[in-house]
Amino acid sequence: MFRIRFFIAASLSVSIISCTNNNTSTSLPNDSVYARESILSTDTTSVNIPLLQQRMENIKHALSQTVPILLLEKADSTQSKAQQIAINNAQFKADLFDTQTHQPYLNEIFNVYNARPQEIPQGYETKNIYRVEMYNYPLNLTTVALVDIIAQKTIAVNNYPHTQPDLNPSLTSLAMQIAINSPDVTGALGFKPGEKDALMAATKTSLNRTKCERSMHLCVAPTFIKNDKALWAIVDLTDLRVVGVRWTNVGTNGEAERISERKLLFDKIMECNCKQVKSVEKNGWTMNYIITSSDGLRISEVYFQNKLIINNAKLVDWHVSYSGTDGFGYSDAVGCPEFSQAAVVAVSEPKISELVQDGKTTGFVLEQAFQSEQWPMPCNYNYVQRYEFYSNGKFRICVASFGRGCGNNGTYRPVTRISFAGNQNNFSEWNSTGWQSWNTEQWHLQNAQTNYTAEGYQYRITDAGGNGFFIEPGRGQFKDGGRGDNAYVYVTKLHADKDEGETDLVTIGPCCNTDYKQGPEKFIEPNAENIQNTQIVVWYVAQMKNDDTKGREYCWAERYLENGVYKTHTYPCFSGPMFIPIKNN
Amino acid sequence: MKGAFSILIVYCCGLVIGCAEKMEEDEVLQIGITTCQQQPAFIGITGLNAKRSAFSTSEKRTKGLALVQIPENLADTANRKVWQHPSWSKFGNMSSITTDENGNAYTIPYPLINVLDNPIEKQNIIYKVSGEDGVMKALVDLRMDTHPASQGVFGLLGIFYDCHGKKLYAGSVAGSTRDKESGIIYVVDPINGKITDQLTGKDPLGLCVGGITGEKRLYFGSSRTSDIYSVVLTKTGNFTGPVKKEFSLDLLGPRGDDKARRIRFDKNGNMIIFGIEFNYNLTAPTEKQETIYRFGYDVEEKKWVLVE
Repeated sequence: MFRIRFFIAASLSVSIISCTNNNTSTSLPNDSVYARESILSTDTTSVNIPLLQQRMENIKHALSQTVPILLLEKADSTQSKAQQIAINNAQFKADLFDTQTHQPYLNEIFNVYNARPQEIPQGYETKNIYRVEMYNYPLNLTTVALVDIIAQKTIAVNNYPHTQPDLNPSLTSLAMQIAINSPDVTGALGFKPGEKDALMAATKTSLNRTKCERSMHLCVAPTFIKNDKALWAIVDLTDLRVVGVRWTNVGTNGEAERISERKLLFDKIMECNCKQVKSVEKNGWTMNYIITSSDGLRISEVYFQNKLIINNAKLVDWHVSYSGTDGFGYSDAVGCPEFSQAAVVAVSEPKISELVQDGKTTGFVLEQAFQSEQWPMPCNYNYVQRYEFYSNGKFRICVASFGRGCGNNGTYRPVTRISFAGNQNNFSEWNSTGWQSWNTEQWHLQNAQTNYTAEGYQYRITDAGGNGFFIEPGRGQFKDGGRGDNAYVYVTKLHADKDEGETDLVTIGPCCNTDYKQGPEKFIEPNAENIQNTQIVVWYVAQMKNDDTKGREYCWAERYLENGVYKTHTYPCFSGPMFIPIKNN
Repeated sequence: MKGAFSILIVYCCGLVIGCAEKMEEDEVLQIGITTCQQQPAFIGITGLNAKRSAFSTSEKRTKGLALVQIPENLADTANRKVWQHPSWSKFGNMSSITTDENGNAYTIPYPLINVLDNPIEKQNIIYKVSGEDGVMKALVDLRMDTHPASQGVFGLLGIFYDCHGKKLYAGSVAGSTRDKESGIIYVVDPINGKITDQLTGKDPLGLCVGGITGEKRLYFGSSRTSDIYSVVLTKTGNFTGPVKKEFSLDLLGPRGDDKARRIRFDKNGNMIIFGIEFNYNLTAPTEKQETIYRFGYDVEEKKWVLVE
């Protein structure tokens, strides 16, 4: 009876959570199927359980002490004595505080035990020497002290960067509780596991070793074994949350495949979002989307009220130049995390959410994040693509940098390409008195002298019937923190017989050109073609200068300590134009 | 006299044929440990101190290959000198370098952050720098007919010159996709660039030939997993026998999923592995994230064990 109930529940959960599962075989699913069915937790908050509440209280209490260390729970008198000797040692306490802000790091004694013979320096009595292991969560650092409990002194202290001690029973229990109370674990198993379930013979539970290679946090994987399958729940004990869950087959040779943070993340994104085109239908809009190898999140076949509006749109490059050094910067492609040309890779699945303005839902947003592994550390990047679609037919294609880059003198130039539907299109620019048609391929820079209509429109694209869109560039009016785009706009002819970016583009421009030579000009020069009554492509290259001035941060990110571990403040610089339907009646 | 000459010829041929694939135990044990590399003759024209100079492909703001004079005091950056032959930056960014007993150097291309300087179709070329005059030219273009551009930008990822067999080993992942591992390790004659043998089906990263186990083996790291593999080589350097998994870097080091970028042996026969993150993309942390692992061979257990 239990087996049947489990099967039904599991089937139901798979149908909800998998991106596509065409596996009809009766044999065990393969790795790709499990990757598609895995769940990346989007909730960055901890589960709400008493053990975690107690843990947070303990942390806050420890951090308020002069010596901010979480001591070993349930220590016997010898262990208490040993850890006390260790924390009286200055070298052992060398990494308790941030040297700049003097705020406490979260440090915890994981283990205290009688040192093994091979760990003890010559000349010491084995039974008197204890090993005290302390873990520094934000620095991912282990500090080990050897103490002589009879002489009451520390005889050696060693630091082990990027190393994590074995978990003690309290932390093991904490990891288990986070896992079994996670909705993602419940969703994957098909029922909410409890301690009893975990200990049932049919569903053995063990704590597998794993790594969070990207976040460098302390992670373990409570693993629920069921028949020939094992559910890995990766628990981040630094952030106290579940990172994600994934099934694997249990190896017949005893060597089961290890699931880590990176494997979980990359496999899911690759299988569900880089190999498969997805679709969305909302608020009168329908479209396909996919994460590309090097052109970010690409939308295509975009219809509004059954009319094709856009062939496709994508983010070709990010050019980042630093003014302090000539020619210093990067030309980054964004895209899939593996087997790609991306320098900054997708770290989440595309997210669809409601667009809410003044309390009312006015459309929806399709958003994708790309992030360097060590962001927000210097010379690491975080980019976001955001497509906004409004119920009234408006849409906005915007991108943002969340810093932090290699310096405070950087300029970001994202290259967006929009291929418009229609083969009788025309492009015009407002010249203060009327619309001036662009007859041939060209570019223009938005600057202080630019003319706008009373509504703020700079360009318009129209078809033979006069239908189309006004184009309103960013001037800081979109209430997203953007301070103006200072954008280059290029218009090129779309060719049926020549690929000028309809398929995935390799990096089209260098990092550090400060003029119009951002790449699209290659499709204009030297012989600009006629773009009247034809298919056209609009390229939009905003320019955002970063700023780290306190209170004015822009395209920037800063780490700060909260409860002893690092969090990140972000100061995004959003850019991108709004496209407003021309009302032709 | 004529007959005696003929006999002598036959005897010599017999000796050569009979010994062609036979290797003495001591000879094998020294493979990978005893080096043969010589300074290139052209170093005299560079003005650099030959004893403190080395090839580099990772000089900041220097595209391609460079010759770097390391200052006696490493902190003395003002005395760090970089020399580059005009031909060394012509072919884009480079990665692994290996040298031979004649002072020639061999290197392979690698796209750094983007493909602006490293077109995809040129990622499977071995370049040779003449030890005589320092000129860099293509030695061999290992064709990439099946390379699907949308699935990656990499070709060659590792190169190693074996002093013992006088062969180059070059590993390529061109043509490999996420769903199909179809990398190739080429055995190349360094004089004329001809391919003398090849091993297919594994995506290789770092390569090295060693004999500390008593067999002449090519060791190579997988670019897909943290595994280290090996395959037996003949005396002349061709492949013989199946590919064997030796051990893994799984869960070792700060990241836990390092791939072996470079493999070498120290004078004690320990295998030194330079582990990096590699995921078939162009991410490039500014600060090099590399971890060095040292493995020793346990003769009794016949397996490699982590030393540090």
